[in-house]
Amino acid sequence: MVNLNTILTIIFVPILGAFLLPFAGYLSVRLRNFLALGLVAVSFLGSLSLIPQALSQSPLSFSLHLPFINFNFSADALAVFMAMVSSLTGLIIVLYSFDYISHYQNQNEYYVMVVLFLGSMMGIIYSANLIFLYIFWEITAICSWRLIGFFRAENDVLRADKAFLVTFLGAIIMLIGFIIIYQQTGSFDLAVCKEYFLASSLPNIAVLLILAGILSKSATLPFQTWLPDAGVAPSPVTALLHAAVLVKIGVYVYARLFVATFPIAVFWHAVVPWVAAISAIIAAAAALIETDFKRIVAYSTISQIGFIFFGLSIGNEVGIVGGLLYILMHGLAKAGLFLCAGIVEQNTHTKDITRLGGLIRTMPVTAMAFLFCAFSVMGIPPFGGFFSKLMVFMGGVQSGQFLVSFVFLIGAFMTVIYLFRLFRMVFLGEAKISAKEGSRTMVFSVAMLAFLSLLAGILVMYPARFALAAVKQMLGLAQ
Amino acid sequence: MNILLLPILIPFIAGLLILTISSRARFIKELITLFATFTCVIISFSLFKKEAVFALPGIGFGIEFNLRLEHLSSFILSASTAISFLIALYCVSFLRSKPYAKQFYSYLLITLSFVSGAVLSDNLIFMLFFWEGLLLTLYGLIAIGSKDAYHTAIKAFVICAVTDLCMMLGIGLTGYLAGTLNISQISLDLSPLATTAFILLVIGAISKASSMPFHSWVPDAAVDAPLPFMAFLPAAIEKLLGIYFLSRICLDMFNLMPESSLSIMLMVIGGITIILAVMMALIQKDYKRLLSYHAISQVGYMILGIGTALPIGIVGGIFHMLNNAMYKCCLFLTGGSVEKQAGTTDLEKLGGLMRKMPITFGCFVIAAVSISGVPPFNGFFSKELIYDAALERGWAFYLVALLGSFFTAVSFLKLGHAAFLGKLRDEYRNVKESGWLMLAPMAVLALLCVIFGVFNAYPINNLIQPILGERAVGHSFSGFPTNFTLVLFTLIVLAAAIISHLIGVKATGSGVRAVNYIHYAPVLSKIYELAERKFFDPYEIGLKLLSALARILYAIDRLIDWVYEKLSINIVFGLSRQLRYWHNGDYTLYVAWSLGGMFLVIIFLMARG
Repeated sequence: MVNLNTILTIIFVPILGAFLLPFAGYLSVRLRNFLALGLVAVSFLGSLSLIPQALSQSPLSFSLHLPFINFNFSADALAVFMAMVSSLTGLIIVLYSFDYISHYQNQNEYYVMVVLFLGSMMGIIYSANLIFLYIFWEITAICSWRLIGFFRAENDVLRADKAFLVTFLGAIIMLIGFIIIYQQTGSFDLAVCKEYFLASSLPNIAVLLILAGILSKSATLPFQTWLPDAGVAPSPVTALLHAAVLVKIGVYVYARLFVATFPIAVFWHAVVPWVAAISAIIAAAAALIETDFKRIVAYSTISQIGFIFFGLSIGNEVGIVGGLLYILMHGLAKAGLFLCAGIVEQNTHTKDITRLGGLIRTMPVTAMAFLFCAFSVMGIPPFGGFFSKLMVFMGGVQSGQFLVSFVFLIGAFMTVIYLFRLFRMVFLGEAKISAKEGSRTMVFSVAMLAFLSLLAGILVMYPARFALAAVKQMLGLAQ
Repeated sequence: MNILLLPILIPFIAGLLILTISSRARFIKELITLFATFTCVIISFSLFKKEAVFALPGIGFGIEFNLRLEHLSSFILSASTAISFLIALYCVSFLRSKPYAKQFYSYLLITLSFVSGAVLSDNLIFMLFFWEGLLLTLYGLIAIGSKDAYHTAIKAFVICAVTDLCMMLGIGLTGYLAGTLNISQISLDLSPLATTAFILLVIGAISKASSMPFHSWVPDAAVDAPLPFMAFLPAAIEKLLGIYFLSRICLDMFNLMPESSLSIMLMVIGGITIILAVMMALIQKDYKRLLSYHAISQVGYMILGIGTALPIGIVGGIFHMLNNAMYKCCLFLTGGSVEKQAGTTDLEKLGGLMRKMPITFGCFVIAAVSISGVPPFNGFFSKELIYDAALERGWAFYLVALLGSFFTAVSFLKLGHAAFLGKLRDEYRNVKESGWLMLAPMAVLALLCVIFGVFNAYPINNLIQPILGERAVGHSFSGFPTNFTLVLFTLIVLAAAIISHLIGVKATGSGVRAVNYIHYAPVLSKIYELAERKFFDPYEIGLKLLSALARILYAIDRLIDWVYEKLSINIVFGLSRQLRYWHNGDYTLYVAWSLGGMFLVIIFLMARG
């Protein structure tokens, strides 16, 4: 039972602890900040302690008996991998928030929402039950709605509503899909469902409905436009939502349901990559044209999510490993880009890149961190993004889907070009707005993310082996 | 510690070390650089012509860290470390007062480390890892040059990154088709799919060698980047690396046949590169820019040679790569010497430096006659081999190559005349010869040009022929060319170049304007004008196409957004407006609603019953 307690701790300490934060805030700001950091650290350390068990032959899966329903968890390598990625980036983002958010009103609410969000993210990750998955899913939606509209201007609230409505629309469609599964299997427990669908594949209508939820949460075509609009949120929130955590819910659930649990008809392995490919190049094109710093980075996220879907959906091992690694590498690098955007925005008071320039002279660390993270997103070695992009492409050609691979290749070209366009316009050339470097904590956070992106590339064998173990578990292959 | 790791680790660690020391500390960074590069030279020469393997456990799917030293890689490794050492020596004096010296040394060492890694890797993935890693130092080395050098740095980065991504896909495809990612185990026939893989890999290789159409950053970098960079990367190392990989692709990994269309494709690329780049070189009025176009043009010969897929052509191509590294590097170093001493590389201003800088001039002459293909210098022998192969594949290719030689000779006559002969301007009265630290590398390279020419049998028989393995058995490529007709044509072309120069000088009275009759020829002048305005720059064209594509795709994005922002909202409001119209509070209307509803329920129940 020690391990059950560990999982319950990972999920519910942040969720319940979040509501203590306002009280802590009345006592002392520092206490609240460090309490928030501590709550997220609990998730991180808890997940860390699950690694040996997750890599063993029999990963954890057990249930908590509640009056009407069993609360099932599983802590296999996939879940632990995802939890590590989310809580690690979450930690750095919370640390960055200390200085960023101290300039604004309603800080207590901010920390409640962020920690609650990360806690329910852990809930999504470790749940092995469709109903609980859905409940945590909606909690994250509510938190993100509050966080996007954090600045409370009318436009901000409208954008927040848009994000909420689009993702809610997807989620409710997905719920219908869950109910179809329940009608057939008589259970929401994923283990039971998996047994039921051993021989046959999941009905296509259920796949389609669930896919709507996944695509809306991961901001993929045709549900993508809420994400760039959500850039009105505070920068750490955009980092949290757009880069590291929220948009990864969709891809994670895709891996959990359609790779690890249910067999799906073969043609989905061709349809989903195409949807992802079109999404990737449309978003990349938008990133080439937009002139708002955060919108560009948000479109870049949509585009990169396409690559992740590509890796996960083509249905061979190397692609799935690539997709999982992509979640890690992109999470670190993209969070770095958003946090750099936050530093620039806070010190120059603009997000319009045509009004920026030459900031590398006054913000050298931020500029270098931005460049490093951008290299990782482009897939330049020795940064981590190289290996993930490479393995996704290897998976693409192994599946025999050459045309889709070429579309993604064009997407990868565009990635290089729009990121350099962004870097050039913000950091190089003539300085138009003078600004100073961000505060020490903020600069430390972005430098940390850049450093981690580099480290993840040089020491790629550790995350890669972990991802490989996860994929073997998911596909039920011998280790 | 395996000895194969040392050429990768030593420069890398030294490079990082230099970044940490203060930029004001004098001599330390120079000492570290010299020491590290010299150690690498010793190691690579001691490894020369040996065989060794080294492997670390990988991450699955055939991605393993395998190093393999064999003939070709030991040869490229020695050449690149030696050139790095000579450049480092040159920089000690050249970069003395430059603010970016520290970064330059660091990037140079890291570049060397990545080059060694790329050459030694047997696994395609790790080869790509090091190969693509070079982008970082490429960007850094150009960007430190001047305040606005970042434009060129980004251009270079984007061009190379795009082609490296092509290579990434090509490597995935190759690995899939071959079932392994180890270069030494890959041997594919050119099926349609393998052809795609081949083309993708070739794009990466020739782009690294800055062949057309991936060349356009090189002339820009000649102006913006620090000069030793030009001598180091575009002139020498990138050619070594690019042509190394090209020959790996054509010789080992795929079985390129002389009659295949891919062979013709390579030869056409080579031919176009030779002629267009040299035509551009002809009209340049800047020492460095002129050389940079030759750096592109010479790649054409190598690609043409290897593209023939004939043993003699491949030997010629690889020999030319080696020769080019020497004389082109030497030429850029003479350019640096002039820049350092005279303060300019503008050919309109220079002149008469021969007497002031005799050793630089001597090195320039040797390198220039080598590149022009004058016997008995090294360029002559490699070009003759390539001519021979080109003629066998088609007279058109031979003609293009020969024409390229004519323009090469003409443009070097112009360059030499403009910079070193003619009248010395008053402001350069006090120009002195460079110090020995700068002269020594030039002299060594010039000497090598002579040695590799006169004693060409040694490099051809010992270094290059073994690369071909069985293909070259029974052939002999060394010694003076046996086909005297070809030699005669070469000599005629060289003579024609001298005559052209003399006529040009007589007509305009100056060396720099000796080619004006070509530059301002009726149609050519228009084309030249457009080319100088980057009208034909593939990078600019590519960006324009991409931005057009982006605009179309962005419209789709906006359309989808419109569905959410406008359409769905309008539909909802429209519907509710309709419903509100029917709920106006009128009692009789509501009674009618209820009756109608009841009626429907009864019909429904009766239909079921």
